[in-house]
This record gives sequence, C-alpha cells and structure tokens, in this order.
Amino acid sequence: MTVNRFWSWIFLVLGVLYFALPLVGTFEFSMKMRRGVYSLDAYEAVIFDPRFQETFTYSVMMALATIVVGVLLVVPTAYWVRLKLPAWRPVLEFVTLLPLVIPPIVIVFGYIRLYNTSSWLPLTGTAMGTNILLMFGYVVLALPYMYRAVDTGLRAIDVRTLTEAAQSLGAGWATIMWRVILPNVLVAVLSGAFLTFAIVIGEFVMAALLNRPAFGPYLQLIGANRAYEPAALAVIAFGITWGCMALIQVVSRFAPRPPAQPH
Amino acid sequence: MTDTFLSIRQVHKAFGTTVVVQEFNLDVRQGEFVSFLGPSGCGKTTMLRIVAGFEEPSSGSVFIGGKDVTRLKPNQRNIGMVFQAYALFPNMTVAQNIGFGLKVAGMPKAQMQARVGEMLELIKLQEFGGRYPYQLSGGQQQRVALARAMAGKPQVLLLDEPLSALDAKVRVSLREEIRAIQKELGITTIFVTHDQEEALSMSDRIVVMYNGRAEQVGTPFEIYNKPATRFVAGFVGTLNVLEGKVADAEQGIVRIGAEDVATGRALTGRRAGEPISLALRPEAISLGPKDGRASTAHGIIREVSFLGSVIRVRVALGDDVVSLDTFNNPATPPPVAGEKASISFSPEDVHLLDQ
Repeated sequence: MTVNRFWSWIFLVLGVLYFALPLVGTFEFSMKMRRGVYSLDAYEAVIFDPRFQETFTYSVMMALATIVVGVLLVVPTAYWVRLKLPAWRPVLEFVTLLPLVIPPIVIVFGYIRLYNTSSWLPLTGTAMGTNILLMFGYVVLALPYMYRAVDTGLRAIDVRTLTEAAQSLGAGWATIMWRVILPNVLVAVLSGAFLTFAIVIGEFVMAALLNRPAFGPYLQLIGANRAYEPAALAVIAFGITWGCMALIQVVSRFAPRPPAQPH
Repeated sequence: MTDTFLSIRQVHKAFGTTVVVQEFNLDVRQGEFVSFLGPSGCGKTTMLRIVAGFEEPSSGSVFIGGKDVTRLKPNQRNIGMVFQAYALFPNMTVAQNIGFGLKVAGMPKAQMQARVGEMLELIKLQEFGGRYPYQLSGGQQQRVALARAMAGKPQVLLLDEPLSALDAKVRVSLREEIRAIQKELGITTIFVTHDQEEALSMSDRIVVMYNGRAEQVGTPFEIYNKPATRFVAGFVGTLNVLEGKVADAEQGIVRIGAEDVATGRALTGRRAGEPISLALRPEAISLGPKDGRASTAHGIIREVSFLGSVIRVRVALGDDVVSLDTFNNPATPPPVAGEKASISFSPEDVHLLDQ
C-alpha cells in the first residue's frame, strides 16, 4: 500500500514537472526582455502591436462565426439523429471523427483545389469568399469536439419524451428546438463553443495556406523573428485556452438539473 | 353510440412484419374515462400513440369531435398527454411548465397566469409554482404533468401509464385525484395501464387488449364478472379454472374429477363427454356450505395463506386446485392444511370458458 502510494506520488510529480516546467520556463523567459530585471515589456510590445490587435480580432470574429455555424449545424443534426435515426448514430460519430485523422493540410489543399478561382465555386477569388472557406474549415476542425459535447448533453435528457410532451402541447419543431431542447443542452453547447474558440484562436495551417490574417500565422511570424515576444504570446495563448476551460467549468454549474427519473 | 366524441375505426398498425394493433374499433363518449388494459406488448400504448398522433396507423381512422384527425400532426390535435416518465421540462419552473402550452397557443400573459394559478390550485401545489422539477417528488411531478396537459383545455386527455413509476401509496392517492379532476373537468380520457386494479377502480369502461386486439370492451363490473374470453377471465382478477367433462348437457352438469357439479344452465351445443372449463372467482367460493350457494364439491386443503383481513385457502379438487378467500375472524382459528373440506358456490357465478 505504502509502496503504491510512493510510486503514485513519483509519477504525479513527474507529470506535473513535464507539463509545468516548459510553461514556467516560457513565462520566466517572457519576463526577461529588460536586461537584469523582470518586466512586462514583452507583453506590452505584443499587445500594442497593431498586427496583434488585427490578427487577434480577426481570429476572435472567425471563432464566433465558427461557433454560430457549428451550433446551427451540429445541434439540429445530433437531435434529429437521436430522435428519428438512432441507427445512424455510429455513422455520424465516424464522420465527425474524420477531422481528427485527416490532417488540416490535406483538408485545406482539398478546399483550394475545389474552390479555386477557376472552379465552379471560386471562393478563394475574394477575401470574403476565403474567409467563408476558412470558417467552414474551422467548423470541420471543431466538429469532433462540438458533436461530442452536444451529443453528451442530449444523452442526459429524454429527448423523445420531451419532444412528444412539447408536441402534445401544441409546439412545432422550431419551438421545441428553441425552448425545450437548446436550453437543456446549453451547457454542452457552450462547452463545445469554448473548445471551438480555443482551437480557432491557435489554428495555423488553414489560415496560413489560405493567406488570411489570423492569430496563428502571426504567432509563427513573431516566433521566427523575435526573442521574448513569442514567449509572451505563447503565455497569452495558453491563458486564453485555460480561460475557455475555466468558463466551461463555470457554465456547467448553471445547467438545468434533470429531475429524478422514474425507475 | 349517439354521443360519440372519440371514435377509432378499423385501426391496424404493423411495424414491418410485426402486427401490433389489429381491427381496433372503439367509440368513446364525451367525458368518459376509458382504460386500455393489457399485458406488455399487447398494443395498448401503440393504440394510444396513434390517437395522440405520434404513430400513424397502417390503416383505419381516428375521429375526435367528428373530425378525422388520422393524418394530423400531434400538435394540431388539441390533445393533452401525460407520460410515464413525467416529461417535465427541466429548464422550466412548475408554473412555466404548466403555462408552456398556453404560451405556445399565444394566450395573453395575464390570462395565462390566471389559468396557471387555477391549475396549481386544482393539483393542490399552489406554493410550488416557482420550483423546478428536480425539487419535486415523483407524485408531485406527475401532478404537474397532469396540470400541464389539462391547462390548454384539450379535447382528449391521454394518460400513458402515469402511475407506474410511483410507489404504492402515492399511486392509490394519485389515481383517486386524477379521477376526481377528470370528473370535475368532464374531459374525455384514455388511460393506458397494465394494472387491473387501477383500471377497475378508475374507469367508466375498460378495453382489455391482447395480441393487438380488443378482447372485450365493457364496464369494470362486466369485465370482472362476465369475462368474454378465457384471456380476459384469466388476466382480470384471480380466477380458478376447473377442467372437466360434460356429464349432462341439458341439466348443465359437469364432472370435475369424481364429482358432478351443477352449472345452473343448459350447456347448449355441447355433448356428453366433451371437455369443458369452468371458472370461478375466489370470492364466489365458500369454505363449507353456505345459503344461496347450492353447488358443492369436496377436496383437501393444500395451503392456507394469512393476508391480514383475508385468509386465502387453496383446496385440491382432483387434479385442480381452487383458491378461495374467507374473512379473518379473530374468534375462529383459520383452517389447517391437510384437512378434508367442502366448498360451495352459486351456479350463477360459474363462467364457462372457450376451449
């Protein structure tokens, strides 16, 4: 028992060191821009850089658009499959897992080939078209996380009976979706949304190959040319991701509590 | 039936090759409380879901208030439904749950609040309007579900085993409450249950279902005392079945084991020596002779079960064993297993069952 506990602690400490040391090192390095003292100069330089503001704003806007489109795509689909086509769930699960096994570079090359200026839908011909293409690319990248979050939320409620109860009370599909289903899976949807936000903010491959001014390519550019600022940016990016995770924890406390189910 | 409000005509439903409801016909009067009673898989819930619009019949029609609603969607039928699993919306308070259908119908807010108040009063949960479903007991949740179903004054109330998930005491009190509210509002109601006691105690009429068919439709008295088929006789209440042979068809005498038993009627269409089954309710049999119970048989007491106010005695008659109930009398000791005993019953209480 004591030996087991000893080794448990050893592995825990090793794990924490493995994850925490690089972060602590990065953070410490980011504070060393001014010779001899710790300062926030690197953070100041990054935050007041117009390119940071431009790329960060761009990525935030893309993340919000991705979340909206992702929610509109995933929530009704997952709901309908649970309600009417339960036999199709494994197929849907497989499809939503594909972005994890197909590298983003393959997806984006496929997009460029399909939607280039000489194709039937020349989305890459305009900035807006390319933004839309990038946003759909992000929707695909976030699909495994968004679908799983929403599906888990739907599993926690009795979708069929709640739908039938609402129908018997005169509600149509839009009312059922908006007033019954969505509020009961809102926390799951928000979890998916925060994960999507974190993915989009740090994404590099798609934005770089589609030549859009996103935060990911900016991170890479700064990293290649500066010393202390990339460390500051890395810490900021980590902060955003952790902030999203913390928000998932916070909103999960406000989830509607399902009543005790009959046995 | 002249004042038919809900009419089910020749309904047939199959899922693939599996037939779940067949040739189902029923007329329900305005304000009537009808129960669909039957074992699991008999098609009672499917039939209810066809009335609700959640299932479409393979053939046949459903009329509500004279209007053919067979192809209408559930939200166009003006029905109220209560589910076994309560189905309260977890994100809404009790008052919001009750007011949901009213809001969907576009009722003005003040009117809606007044109606929700009325319903809360009806189910005696006036203080609970601001609570969420998870803060209520099972019985309270089901009362809220009932109020929600009735708030919009539906034409028909459908209850799908609403008491099955509740404990025994709550079940009894809630069934009385449901019946009282239904009578007060005069709402036409269909109640699905597999619990015969619920069906017998609550219904104006009962439809006993088996293998997708309505085996018998009748009042609780008729269903219990005059079962039309062997299944109904066996499913509703406890029944003793005695297998015998016709001894004298004209005199209505049947030979059970070594004894001749009078059935009190001519066994028309039957011949001497033909096998026949007689059925008797436990309460129709007395231990020993009793005035008014002219038929007798003799056997040996096999088992005596003390059930509190009642003592159930099992008596072997040849190859058959019959159960009978006697009231517990503290001054008289109960019969003893192994003793010889005679039983008596009235020929009028004997049911002849189809083979």
